[in-house]
Amino acid sequence: MKKKRGYEVQKKLFFALVVIVLLLSILNIAKAKGLLIPKQGPVDVKHKVVDLQKLTLDQKVAQMVVVVGTKENYWPWRNMQLGGIHLFARQTEHIFNNTIIDFQFQTPIPFFVTADLEGCVSPFGFIRQFTPASEVDTIEEAFEKGVEEGQFLHKLGFNLNFAPVVDLKDDIWKCRSFPGDETKISELAQAYLTGLQTQEVLGTAKHYPGKTLIVKDPHKYVVAAEIGKKDVYPYAYLVEKGEVKAIMVSHIITSGEVDSEGVPSVVSKKVLDDLRAHFDGLIVSDEIHMLGLKKFYRSVDEVYIAVFKAGNDVVLNFDKDPNEIYRMIQIVKGAVERGEIPEAQIDASVTRILEVKGFTVR
Amino acid sequence: MLSERALFIINVSLGLFSVLLVLMLLAIKFPTLGQAQYALDKEEPVCVIQWGDEATPFTDVDRCCLQARQQFECRAQSKDNLDWVCGADEGLQIWLNNKAYNYCKQQPYW
Repeated sequence: MKKKRGYEVQKKLFFALVVIVLLLSILNIAKAKGLLIPKQGPVDVKHKVVDLQKLTLDQKVAQMVVVVGTKENYWPWRNMQLGGIHLFARQTEHIFNNTIIDFQFQTPIPFFVTADLEGCVSPFGFIRQFTPASEVDTIEEAFEKGVEEGQFLHKLGFNLNFAPVVDLKDDIWKCRSFPGDETKISELAQAYLTGLQTQEVLGTAKHYPGKTLIVKDPHKYVVAAEIGKKDVYPYAYLVEKGEVKAIMVSHIITSGEVDSEGVPSVVSKKVLDDLRAHFDGLIVSDEIHMLGLKKFYRSVDEVYIAVFKAGNDVVLNFDKDPNEIYRMIQIVKGAVERGEIPEAQIDASVTRILEVKGFTVR
Repeated sequence: MLSERALFIINVSLGLFSVLLVLMLLAIKFPTLGQAQYALDKEEPVCVIQWGDEATPFTDVDRCCLQARQQFECRAQSKDNLDWVCGADEGLQIWLNNKAYNYCKQQPYW
């Protein structure tokens, strides 16, 4: 009798545990797919006018984030109303195009759709080869390269390219920088940008303030470089010409002409403020999962706050886990609510982003 | 029909599995076998950029991983103590040894 009762208890426990395991499995799957992330409220856009006051802080911070555009994260990225998606390689133009159409479908504020098409460095190598920057010698060739790459990107649906590289020296890749001295590189970059932007694809001069493509000490994760006047000349030139709409900032600790005061440039308020003093376009952070940046802080949460606090308008976080991206937004939101990051600074960045996307902000 | 002892063992397993699922839900991460394997591998990570006939060692493994990830595929191919090549057949290629490749695979964007 006692044995039979014990068996009945085990049987009931078994069914209870099966139900619990099933429920927990469903919750885990839903979480992994980002389905537990709350959906943002609707954005009130009328006649291409956005009222900034009607955007929540979550929506504003989300607009500043560019993530990797994968089909798996289609819903979480859309629900979070992120600012942009960056696409890695795909097999065909058709797949690129379909992915972008899907993401942009009925979005009140379209995504930035970004790529790293520099010429030799390209996610399209499987589909088509482009002229490397190192083989471009004349203004005409640079302009043609810009037009050709712009046409290709525009046709697929991209609207922001993380090129051209205006580093003066490329000791590693040997193909990413334009040839010549700082004057020639600046002129070629300008021509490239003009060509690219005639095709409605914005260009990004990178990697401010320079010296990112040189061989580094293999035992250091945190890299330092002395920046000279020549290194920043291309940026000053392109800003003065009004051709560059976005500048990407690197993780290098710099001294000399641009002094990051002992921290990586991308989190240096001084570097970004000095750049902002002359440049009213988008300041884009380099991807934030680099040891050069991460090793500098005790936790990734500190990285998140530092990169926004410094004044980057667009932050590249290619973590494919939607929960982590949501967590980053909440951490930055918390820092804004605590007054650690001024909300006016977030507003200014979002205004720049929306204006570049073609909206009027009021 | 299962014996009481078998049912008890199944219930204990399900209980442990439930605990694991709860921990997963709370985002508590455990070291994976791959991470352990990576930690035990004492080889130095090596990344080499090949452009045309020129091959240049690249010591910034993080940046190397990010560029490799942007390529369509990385395939196993041996050459001069390197085990993986990322990129199309023509143009720029990124070569990695196993240590570097396993490191790349642990990155949040991979």
